[in-house]
Parts: sequence; C-alpha cells; structure tokens
Amino acid sequence: MATTTDVSSKIIQALAEYLKRDASSITPTHHLREDLGLDSMAVIEMLYRIEEVFNLQIPDQDLVGLTTVGHVIAYVEGRVAPASTKTAAKGAAKPSAKTPAKPAAKKPAAKPSPKSKKA
Amino acid sequence: MSTRVVITGLGVVSPIGIGVPQFWKAALEGRSGISAIPSFDPFPLEGYRSRIAGRIVDFSPDQYLPAGQGDRVDRYAQFALVAAKEALADADFKMERENPHRVGVIVGAGMGGMVMGEREITQLYEQKRPHRVHPNFIPVITLNSASGIVAMAYGAKGPNLTISTACSSSAHALGQAMHAIRAGTADAVIVVGADASITPLVFAGFCSLRALSTKYNAAPEKASRPFDRGRDGFVMGEGAGALILESLAHAKKRKARMYAEVAGYAATSEAHHMVTPREDGEEVATTMRLALKDAGVTPAQVDYINAHATSTTVGDAVEVKAIRLVFKSRADKLAVNATKSLVGHTLGAAGSLAGVVSALTLTSGQIHPTLNLDDPDPACALAGLSKDQQTRKAKVALINAFGFGSNNAAVVLKAVSS
Repeated sequence: MATTTDVSSKIIQALAEYLKRDASSITPTHHLREDLGLDSMAVIEMLYRIEEVFNLQIPDQDLVGLTTVGHVIAYVEGRVAPASTKTAAKGAAKPSAKTPAKPAAKKPAAKPSPKSKKA
Repeated sequence: MSTRVVITGLGVVSPIGIGVPQFWKAALEGRSGISAIPSFDPFPLEGYRSRIAGRIVDFSPDQYLPAGQGDRVDRYAQFALVAAKEALADADFKMERENPHRVGVIVGAGMGGMVMGEREITQLYEQKRPHRVHPNFIPVITLNSASGIVAMAYGAKGPNLTISTACSSSAHALGQAMHAIRAGTADAVIVVGADASITPLVFAGFCSLRALSTKYNAAPEKASRPFDRGRDGFVMGEGAGALILESLAHAKKRKARMYAEVAGYAATSEAHHMVTPREDGEEVATTMRLALKDAGVTPAQVDYINAHATSTTVGDAVEVKAIRLVFKSRADKLAVNATKSLVGHTLGAAGSLAGVVSALTLTSGQIHPTLNLDDPDPACALAGLSKDQQTRKAKVALINAFGFGSNNAAVVLKAVSS
C-alpha cells in the first residue's frame, strides 16, 4: 500500500538523519534503545521530528508502547490513515481517541481529554 | 598554611585562535579578532547600532570533539568542551588515574545557550505552536548545561557548579575552584569560562543598553580600544577559556608541569548599580586589596595586571583610578594590558581568558600588546600600558573582572618557584 510504504520510509529516513547513519541499515525490528542506542531523551527528540514530518501531536500516554521502529511505524500509520481518507485533518490533530494503532490499543481506550468536545 | 593551588593545563577557543599556541601567537602579534557581523538574518542589520563583534568564524565542533559529543548542547557549551579538552590534554590529566569524585568542574557563563534559546522563543511567539518547542530547549538553556556536559565527557564526579555573574563569571569560577581545592573538597577542578551569544536578541539588548561601540562599524579592528581617548563602548566577543587547577601536592605527585599558582581571590559586591561601577573606584580597589591579602602579597610585589578594561568610557577610567588607589607610585611600574582589545568582551569567558593570558605571561615574561592605544586617555594613564608587546619578568599577576549586578572579582596568580 502506497501510504504504508510512504510512512515507513519517511520514518526510517527521519531516524537515519537523526542518527546520522544509512537508512538501509535501519529495519522495523530494530529496538530503539537496544539496537539503535537511543536513550529516553533521544527517543523524545526523534519523536519530535516525526511529529513534524507527519504534522502530529503524540500524547504522553502513547509513548509507552513505542519501543521499536515497527511500533513507531504502526502507530503513525494508525494516526495518519484516517486523516488521509477523511477530508479534514481534524482526525490527525485530535488526541488518540480513535487511534487504532497497536501500541496505543494496548492501553485502555484513552480517556477523553478534559477539553474534548465529545465529553 | 592552606593548601596551595596550581594551574597545570590551559585551553582556549577565541576569535584569534582555537588552541593555546594559535591564540598566544596571535595575541603577542597583536592581531585583532574583531570583524563585521555579516548578517542577523532575517533581521535588518541597520536596526543594530553596533555591527561588529569578536566572532569565531566557521567553528565546527566535530572538528575538535568526538562525534556527537557536542550535538545536544548550545554553541557556548561546545566551546567549553573544546577548551576543556585542550586543557586536560595540556595538563596530561588522565581521568582514569584519578578518583572521579575528587575532580570537579566549575564553569562561568554569563548568557548560556542563547542560540537555541532565541530560536525557540522566536518560533513559539511567531507560530504559536507550544507543542513544537524543542524537547532539548530546557536542558540547553539551563545555565549549567556546559558544566554538566564537560563532567559527562570526562566522568568528573566531584562538585559540578556554574557561576553566573555576567562579565566576571569565570574569574569567580577560578576563585571558587581555588576555594574548593583549599577546602579539600576536590584534588582538581576543570575551570571553564564560556559564552556565545552574538545572537539577534542578546546583541540587540546590548545595543539598547548603549553598552557597545558604534563609532567603528566601518573599521571593526579599531573598535575595541581600552584606555584610548577614542573608546566608545565594548565590542562583544565569544569564546571559551579553560584551566586545570590542582592542589600543589596532587600536581607534584603526578609530576605535572605547572604554569602558575592561584594564590588569592576576592569577591565583592558594590551594592551600588546594576550596570555602572562606583566612580570613585573605592570598591574595585577594595576587591584588589582583598585578593592581594588573600594571596599574602603586598602591592609592591605585583608586576602585572590583566585589566578588566572593556573599552567603555566610565569602566576603564574607574579601573585605573582604583589601580592608583591600591598601588600608589607602584602603579606606573606595573605592566598592564587589556585582552579585550584583541578578542572583544567574551562575557562569561573573559575571566578564564584573562587567567590563561596571565598564566602564559608569568611563564614567558611576554606582555601582549593593548590594541588601538593610539591616543591614551589621560584619565586612564598608566606608564606600563603599551600598544606594543613588552618583555618583562613577572612574578605576581593580578586579574580584575567586574560584572553587571554590581559585582567584582580579583584573582592573584604567582609564578611557581621551584
């Protein structure tokens, strides 16, 4: 699927730039900490870049499950897919209320934020 | 008898050279590091009254540091890392041979991480996207980022402190390091002074304060002219200086080469005014007297003064007045120079660069020239000031450093006698 490839390659590209290494040396199975050597601060910096690339805001509660490159790809795919099919970008901008991504789904359905219109 | 403290290593990042040999050669040759600021893009340069500075051009941390070491810190902390690396190598100081908890790091910094600081502030206010503030913003602008990264780079686990007293920051860092070693809380301290804030907002702030030279935008190398009648404000510089301080016993035990002894220090407040000194010079004089007393030397024993001398109308004259109060007729027998005439005012780095210069002066007997002393101001007249290099055997050096916030420091160095 074009979108999937697109998300995956953009993330790997962003990681490669951040780590100053070749994109071909990074695979979805790589663990961010053990394999790529990212400490907690580095993971946050890397996600900051990915937020910019995909115009996302990743809520704190979603960070927990993001431990491999594949997790990050799946998470971002889950976040951007609805936005690309719907007309507006509202879905992407809204916190993870309807995020289908695996890592986030492990957690109980995110509580609506205090500011959520649905509340 | 209190523990004696000596300097065993030096490091410099300056507008006239990165590395002590390059810096010292340029200093003795009287080379100016002041140049035109090419741009403050996207801000119009015409909006700045002063358009010159002592800039370090084409600095690349990767040229001097292990890959990635300087990636997460601001420019001033990169300077600090480079200077500290040189000083440690110069001292042949190997951390693996030390008890890490006995090695401290004390950094003097006036402004800190303003490159990233300004960028993030600007972006936030322009774009109004709080979630896009960089995750490293806080660790970078926190003023102890340089002392933190230097300690991490070498595994120094002793006292890790940052002193921020504007323009006198690293003179205090030197003095406080001496105290830490005297008190027995460290065997050695990596002392660094660093600043790199020739940035659109900070520079504009100094312009607005009417502190900077504005008459010499077309002739940058003429602008920093301490003690000259034509002086009209300081020229901002950037850089870092580093000194390895050790107890004499520790230095002797490892057979270290010693540049000089840090023999005395005084810290005072004028409790007077945020940015101007007391014009009678009494408080500056008191600071010098206290430092000499701490060092156990009399004014008659002093040979050389590395003056604070920023090239401001009031500051330079007050300093000379104070020197006359302390030294009386001896004042005209002292060799005096102004390092800021070469590199501009490097703010938090200034005291450490003065320390490096003074250590080299004591070991070499060479007094670097004071640039642009073309028409000496009678209010600043001292016989031992010269636009030329002087050769003079010096055994005791005095460093003056004054900072915004009504803050004074003086440090006394002594030649090491065997």
